[in-house]
Amino acid sequence: MKTQKLFESNSHTWLMFGRDDEKPNEIIDTNQYIVISNKNALLMDPGGIELFSAMLSAVIKQLPADKITHLFASHQDPDIISSLGLWDQALPSATLHSPWIWESFIKHFGMNNITYSAIPDEGSSLKIDQVTLEFIPAHYLHSSGNFNVYDAEAKILMSGDIGAALESVDAPLYVEDFDEHIDKMKMFHQRWMPSNEAKNDWVRRVRKLDVEMMCPQHGRIFKGDNVKRFLDWFEALEVGLVSKAKAEA
Amino acid sequence: MSELSNNYFVSVAEIAAKLDQATHIAQQLSLTASNARAVALRAGERAAGFRPLTDFIDRLAEITIKSSKNINKLAAALSQTSADKERADSAITHFNIVFTKAKDSEFIHSLDEVFERCQKKQQQLNQSYKRQIFRLSDELAMLSSELRNAVILATLSRVEASQAGIQYQDALINVADNVEGAASKIKDHIHYSQQMVSILEEY
Repeated sequence: MKTQKLFESNSHTWLMFGRDDEKPNEIIDTNQYIVISNKNALLMDPGGIELFSAMLSAVIKQLPADKITHLFASHQDPDIISSLGLWDQALPSATLHSPWIWESFIKHFGMNNITYSAIPDEGSSLKIDQVTLEFIPAHYLHSSGNFNVYDAEAKILMSGDIGAALESVDAPLYVEDFDEHIDKMKMFHQRWMPSNEAKNDWVRRVRKLDVEMMCPQHGRIFKGDNVKRFLDWFEALEVGLVSKAKAEA
Repeated sequence: MSELSNNYFVSVAEIAAKLDQATHIAQQLSLTASNARAVALRAGERAAGFRPLTDFIDRLAEITIKSSKNINKLAAALSQTSADKERADSAITHFNIVFTKAKDSEFIHSLDEVFERCQKKQQQLNQSYKRQIFRLSDELAMLSSELRNAVILATLSRVEASQAGIQYQDALINVADNVEGAASKIKDHIHYSQQMVSILEEY
């Protein structure tokens, strides 16, 4: 599994983990992100159970395990958080931040030690040391209870499934040619995202944020102008489609 | 008889299911005892020797139901322990991979404490597992021994049935057959469970 530094300042660092060439072929490749502050760290969408060993091995090369005091699960999907039962043993004192609607569902993955901190529908913020992170509502994109993580200082938006593309594990980390990239993400957004209204609501919300880097859970990171290109493209895209999405895929 | 599952926690669930069937058969045995009592009453004096036997059938049914329920509880608890054990074993396996993959990391020892805790938990679960297997095995042996009486009971019932006169003879022989049949079916389930338990003892 590869580790990539996305941002570094005196107060904190953003790392991305992904492109795991040892993962079984049958499971989708995922990007995991971590924010490391002075004494704490937030691990975001830590991934599926199949990925746990690779993920913890990668993380432990960067920081001691007990520094990870917070976990975040954008929603309830298995590729996001089915590793919870194992993290629960590795980080018994940690707090998991996740949508309130999924609390009793996510606990099915096994959670005897970790504390669940339910994020309300309108979102909330988390302060770790000197760093403030915002949980931005992204409901129905694709899950009915869903959040992104925004860091105003780093200008990074961890966008979960929004901006995701289904690609091979050797794909570049950043979107280079936006127009070429559309093909890789169009079907995903049309098929997995159910609501145009929810989508446009999210686009309006994110346009108000200063985003330099948009980091999805699958595929490539959008930087600079590509963030705006994505928002324009996504706003114009009709979602919640099955047959059309399939036919055009 | 199905093959023992490769996963011990699945095998334990299968034992619980088998013993649940045994409970149902024992409940049928209890109905047989009520039926036998009614027939013996109708047969009057000629079935006088049969009537005390119905009490024994009742008692056998009662013991079997009680023991089957108890075994069921033990098997259900064992099933839970097995699932927990599987989870603990899986965590240890994952941690061992991390210790190999990230052995050169300066932070690798930050996992020592949680790893030790997992090992301790695994040991506790192993001990519970062994203790529960032992109790299950013991209870199965006790019930099996009780069911040996069913054969004697069936034989005695046949002898007494032959004295009850042609009108009631067939009904009472049928009672004897039911007792023997039910006991035999329950014994099959117990035997199967005992075989499974003996394999599970090796885990």
